[in-house]
Amino acid sequence: MRSTRLLALASVSALGLTACSGGGNSVDTGGGGGDNVLVAAVSAQPDQFDPHVTNAYASFQVLENVYDTLVVPNGEDLTMEPSLATEWEVSDDDLEWRFTLRDGVTFHDGSEFDSADVVYSYNRIIDDELSNAYRFQTVESVEADGPQTVVIRVTQPTPNLPALIGSFKGMAIIPEGAAEDLDLTTEAVGTGPFRLESSDASATELTKNDDYWGDEPSIDGVEFRYITEPAAALTALQNGEVQWTDNIPPQQVDSLEGDDSVELATTPSVDYWYMSMNFAKPPFENPQVRKAIATAIDREAVTQAARFDAAQPNQTAIPEDSFFHSDYAPYEADVDAAKQLIADSGVPTPIRMGLMVTDEYPETVTAAQVIASQLEPIGVEVEVQTTDFATWLDRQGKGDFDAFMLGWLGNVDPFDFYHAQHITGGDSNYQKYSNPQVDQLLTDAATETDQDARKDLYDQAARLIVDDVSYLYLYNPDVVQAWAPGLSGYEIRADKAINFEGVELP
Amino acid sequence: MFALVHLVPGDPVRLALGTRFSQDTYDALRERSGLDRPLVEQFFSWFARALGGDLGVSFRSGDTVTSLIAERLPATLTLAFASILVALVIAIPLGTLSALRPRSIVDRIATVLSQIGISVPDFWMAIVLILVFAGTLGWLPTGGYVPLGEDPGGWLARLVMPAVVTGVVSGSVITRFVRSSVLEALGADHVRTAQAKGLPARQVFTWHVLRNALLPLVTVTGVQLAYLLSGVVVVEIVFSWPGLGQLALQSVEARDYPVLQGAILLFALVFLVINLVVDLLYTAIDPRIRR
Repeated sequence: MRSTRLLALASVSALGLTACSGGGNSVDTGGGGGDNVLVAAVSAQPDQFDPHVTNAYASFQVLENVYDTLVVPNGEDLTMEPSLATEWEVSDDDLEWRFTLRDGVTFHDGSEFDSADVVYSYNRIIDDELSNAYRFQTVESVEADGPQTVVIRVTQPTPNLPALIGSFKGMAIIPEGAAEDLDLTTEAVGTGPFRLESSDASATELTKNDDYWGDEPSIDGVEFRYITEPAAALTALQNGEVQWTDNIPPQQVDSLEGDDSVELATTPSVDYWYMSMNFAKPPFENPQVRKAIATAIDREAVTQAARFDAAQPNQTAIPEDSFFHSDYAPYEADVDAAKQLIADSGVPTPIRMGLMVTDEYPETVTAAQVIASQLEPIGVEVEVQTTDFATWLDRQGKGDFDAFMLGWLGNVDPFDFYHAQHITGGDSNYQKYSNPQVDQLLTDAATETDQDARKDLYDQAARLIVDDVSYLYLYNPDVVQAWAPGLSGYEIRADKAINFEGVELP
Repeated sequence: MFALVHLVPGDPVRLALGTRFSQDTYDALRERSGLDRPLVEQFFSWFARALGGDLGVSFRSGDTVTSLIAERLPATLTLAFASILVALVIAIPLGTLSALRPRSIVDRIATVLSQIGISVPDFWMAIVLILVFAGTLGWLPTGGYVPLGEDPGGWLARLVMPAVVTGVVSGSVITRFVRSSVLEALGADHVRTAQAKGLPARQVFTWHVLRNALLPLVTVTGVQLAYLLSGVVVVEIVFSWPGLGQLALQSVEARDYPVLQGAILLFALVFLVINLVVDLLYTAIDPRIRR
């Protein structure tokens, strides 16, 4: 197993007495909220704070520390563990889930947390058709059974229900009536370790929740400062203006590993980046053409160019560390074999392919250039089409592309990795892939309650998806974060959740 | 303007939802944001409210457009005026000196400097300044903004680098104008007459050359100021300066039509006001224009 590389984390706490080792060049940070406040440099301003509405990672970095969910992925392997629910059980027919709620939890406004809040939160997402309504596709009803119990009835066995309601704070529990009584886009009333104090165009400030149900945070607050330019964020960390950042220039990851002015940590993430071809556009409906392209691409080189060393090439979606990882890698970069496949397909060369990428994710632009040069020798002329993300999504939605590259981020359950992307007519099946065998396997896997049987079904589906090149999987990137030497109690996570609950400042 | 904003490809609803959502969710959000109504109807309801000072609500953040703009206006005003100050401090002496001694060493150096100032990319200059003054020397913070009233020292420390970067770029442009307009004024008939009358050189320069050279300078400074007031996106991003440029960029990226329309409306107003001020200054400098 690739273990988390927490560089000398254990040994630094002993050195934690010296605040800044950058040669005395510390700077008055001015706006800092006090001595015991963690200042974190993040790359973007949150768009808003309604957990059920926002879709922005910048918002969830903050909300992770403000709201709670019924269950929460643990930091080790992302399996679900208790949070606002202390235990849960499924009926024998797998159609009824009973969650027992934690006692003595209060919201930031002082009100008591009980089952009515859970029913209200979930029904808000379902009834208002908010972003995450798709997570309740199999849910028939959400009801309270007394103040401490919530019963969720499903129309078919849903083994991944805990992951659906717990994998991120988009499924947060808000107080009953909050959406009517408050402006949730700017205010937050959660049950988490910190309260949302203020937010403006420069920073978002959180203060400690003294009544937190878990262990009381040792820091008084967190200030999220938006620093978009990675070189500036790293400089701010090195000169002591901030104590934590996830905005590291990728090309500097290597050189920072030996640098004792910052503590660098990397861990494989649960994100994956891929390329996909349009099954509705000739000649890409031809399996041999797709296979030829999958054979011609050298994933190591693409990964190196896009992420330097901070990623693991993978021919399937789920990363190596996961229980659900499929050990399947049929392709080996081979120009001659690829040429032969093109010849066998009978499609005349040169084949022109527009590869749609977006400057919103610059790594797709770099990767596309490498892919273009790798496909040239086999007679595929790639035109790299770089657009802004709005146009990109528009064209993807309309099917107006030959091929595109993007990533799926924050996947926890294999359902997140494979289902909607590859099932016929799936919400995210933009490439129009359809294989009845895959449909059957994915449908069965979605309701299979035995973990080993479920893994077996997803393994079989993944093989077909890879063989058919529905997605051409490229790599799983690493999470890269850095903090001030001596900062302790922070855990870097594969799902990129940023939780400052247990942090102690140097 | 309204039509142009809406004609740009890209769908704000799709952007707000990302890539994982169901069709029902899409339809519900589209209806809530009013984007399902005919464009003409959207325009008239926006226009009617805009006349009353209500520019609508951002799709992205749920804040009112006026509050989003008001939040960022002080930072933009601060940076724009500080940059113009830096620009004029560079441009007037440099431009005048090189005009007084054309083709001298001073002139050559000034030309090379202003050429460098115009051609060096501002983001590169910004990053180099950060690495040197915030990193190696540790004299200044890497970026950010604090209001003057809250922390004057911190305000100034954070203003220096962005103002220098934008000021150098604007200053380089203005230097060339100063040089050519002073040269032109020096060659004018009335200047020759004044010199022939035996007026002292200093008096000729102050009263007959500078005053005439001032007109083009006011024009180009006005143009530069309008440009700075509409936000300097790259410099704002590198220095984490919460100005209007960043807001406008974010609203374009998110296809946040209400914010984008509000920002464009504001920039148009800024240009109108600055043109008016420039015209008024003309009449003050050159009384002949009043007739």
